[in-house]
Amino acid sequence: MQDILTRFEAVAARPLAYAREWKARTGGAVIGIFPMHFPGELAHAAGALPVILQEDEEPITVGLSSVFNFYCGYNRSVIDQAMRGEYDDLDAIMFGDHCVQLLGTADVLRDHLPGKPILFNQLIGTIDADWAMDETRGTFRQLRRDLEALIGRPVADEALRASIALSNRNRQLIRTLYDMRRSGQAALTGRQMQVIVKSSMIMDRATHTALLEQLVAQIRPAATGGGQVRVYLSGHLCQAPKPEVLDLIEQCGGHVVDDDLYHGYRYVAGDMDAEGDPIEAFSHWYLDRNHKTPCPTRAAKGRDWESFLLDQVGAARAEGLIVLMVKFCEPHMYFYPEIKEAFEARGIPHLLIETEHEHMPLEALRTRVESFLEIVRRRAAA
Amino acid sequence: MQIVTETTDAARPHGGQVPFGNGQRANRLRATKLGGQIVNDYWSDLFAAKDDGRKVIWYNGTYIPPFFQAANCAYVHGEAWSAYLAAKHGEIPAQARGEQRGYDRELCSYARTHIGQALIDLEKLKSGTLGIEPDSPRALTMAKLPAPDMIINAYPYCSSGQQWDDITYRLFGKKVPIFHVSVPLLWGGRPDAGYLRGEEWNDRSQYVARQLRAMAAFIEEHTGKKYDWDRLSEVMSYVKKASELRLEAMDLCAARPAPASFFDWIVSIAHVNFLPGTQRIVDYFEAVKAECHERIANGEGAVRNEKYRLFFDGMMNWNKVGWLADKFAAVDACVVAGRYTHMSFWQEPQLIDLKDPVLGMAQNYLICPNNHGAPIMIGEINKLCDKFQIDGMVMHASRTCRGMTNSQFLIADSAKRHGRQALFFEGDVADESFYKDELLNTRLEAMIESMDAKRRMVA
Repeated sequence: MQDILTRFEAVAARPLAYAREWKARTGGAVIGIFPMHFPGELAHAAGALPVILQEDEEPITVGLSSVFNFYCGYNRSVIDQAMRGEYDDLDAIMFGDHCVQLLGTADVLRDHLPGKPILFNQLIGTIDADWAMDETRGTFRQLRRDLEALIGRPVADEALRASIALSNRNRQLIRTLYDMRRSGQAALTGRQMQVIVKSSMIMDRATHTALLEQLVAQIRPAATGGGQVRVYLSGHLCQAPKPEVLDLIEQCGGHVVDDDLYHGYRYVAGDMDAEGDPIEAFSHWYLDRNHKTPCPTRAAKGRDWESFLLDQVGAARAEGLIVLMVKFCEPHMYFYPEIKEAFEARGIPHLLIETEHEHMPLEALRTRVESFLEIVRRRAAA
Repeated sequence: MQIVTETTDAARPHGGQVPFGNGQRANRLRATKLGGQIVNDYWSDLFAAKDDGRKVIWYNGTYIPPFFQAANCAYVHGEAWSAYLAAKHGEIPAQARGEQRGYDRELCSYARTHIGQALIDLEKLKSGTLGIEPDSPRALTMAKLPAPDMIINAYPYCSSGQQWDDITYRLFGKKVPIFHVSVPLLWGGRPDAGYLRGEEWNDRSQYVARQLRAMAAFIEEHTGKKYDWDRLSEVMSYVKKASELRLEAMDLCAARPAPASFFDWIVSIAHVNFLPGTQRIVDYFEAVKAECHERIANGEGAVRNEKYRLFFDGMMNWNKVGWLADKFAAVDACVVAGRYTHMSFWQEPQLIDLKDPVLGMAQNYLICPNNHGAPIMIGEINKLCDKFQIDGMVMHASRTCRGMTNSQFLIADSAKRHGRQALFFEGDVADESFYKDELLNTRLEAMIESMDAKRRMVA
């Protein structure tokens, strides 16, 4: 088990190094994808390695000549990486989100990476509009045409269905690990779970899935007792929380039992139909995403994030909620007050932690987390 | 996008402060005072809407009010309302109320002001009190905005705008019907892409037009009245004429000295953004144009001793309209044009076919000043800079309006490649706390010195 996690960790820590090694080994194309709503299956079916572009650990230096410091760490980091030449080996970049910061980043990349194909096909943000399905189908059809033009050959439906099936299996295995962790059958830390999900965004799908099959078979139950506080983690869209923050929560006595993080359950929550028309499958997958895990970046009148979180916290038997909010993440900032009010109304303890690419004073955070967990314990005892 | 009326004289830089530069003040167009009356009448009409039994639409984003006017609905633009409060220095209680609920100050300050104001209104409805002194001028202003019967969102480019209206919808208990018009980015990545041309342009134009027709059906459903397409054409006839006159008047500013400045155009935006399409806006821009002609004939400039010609990039700082107009005048610099004023608000009126205006309206919405990918947008900026013989760029990095700060480094780089100076200053659309006056002073003085030095070298 540890060997597998170590392999995943190496990929998660240095995604672009893995992509370069994969490219050198296979001769295949590597396609970078911006989060959070774009399927990698299309690129995979075209024979490429889809890699979700990640925030890296480097301080932002040269990038600050092209992005303001009041943009989120993910956008600043991506621009910095591009300007440091980290994306030189990518064969193309695909995206279709409408996050205003990401749109600006895409333009900076287009300017700094001349000649790099950027396949932009914007997905509709209002996913419950009457015309959302037609529009989404059109977007994915256009993306497919653009991709086929890039690689110089058609991408067959059969190849797309195979890629969907493989990705479904990958997601299902990760969800199995989530189920096992929730019920105490899997001793996985927050850091380990992040490594599993993050590596699935980068690594060759077949290899990753084979390793996941082994991991599920080898996983061991969590040790019982110990007075840990069961906590649910929420938020952190687009980029992974720093593993040190996850470690700190556990060091302070928290036991992460579930999450809706993008580098967590949000990423694996939904599958696609692997039998029918692939474009239909992509479209339904996209438009149904809020039913699986509500996302504040999409407009939909149906499911609310705060009521989803209340349900999830209850189902996971979590005793408290920790909201991880990326500084300058506008959609999260809009919806956080409703989450706060809903948890206050229900009497469930919650803690907001704002994160930054740099300047995370962990010792000050430790005090806050310790206090929060103490509050949870006292409320439970009262 | 926004508003507005003018900031007060009391807020201008000279009251009790050390004068900046040579102390000269902007020579504003007289006609803009006429425009202020039309703006005031609009607000008065809006505040009386419920008394008249009209439905009230709260909307955000692009300039879709002709659709509402044709349906005899009253309407309020969220940004305009926030800017209205900011221009009257009444935004602070609204922002404080938003912050009290947990809205971070890094969120769009238009949204924070608007949401905070909605929270105050809702409390007022529940308790019968405003939560602030009832005889305060702020309270009197805030008490007037009628609650929405419909919410419509039509934001080009900016995802924050969509989320803002989602929150408004939720604040009203999800009971007010909401409609979204998706105005997609024109990325311009295909080989045939260009300004007003290409497959993407044609396809997206039709897409937005279809949604606008669906929006009219939504309005029809919630007013219970058949949508009046003839009335829309009539309204658009005034809007089109006013827009043509505005563009003609702007073009007159290619003259030296420029008869009007960016700040005159800023205070004339409301007239093409959300004021009713009537003969009054046509008359207004005729007066503006006539005054520009008169000034050219007299050699009178918007800046009395114009030596430098600048381009303003970014969203306006609505707390500082008069302040900034005077600041640039005080160093003999005329801000002649801007992305916000010159690349939006019906800047392609010829696209509008009055017999069936919807497609042309959709196309004008698509070309708002940030909805093009950077290469095409910067190309259009450069054309304006050439037309108006611009020496330098003033980049307003509006802290919470990332839709307008995106690409600003690319714009500045392009300007420098074309031999134009560029300076950045930080501020915000409706949150004064982000503006640092002394930073702008220093940078502006440095840019002026640099332009002088360059001219000396050439001479």
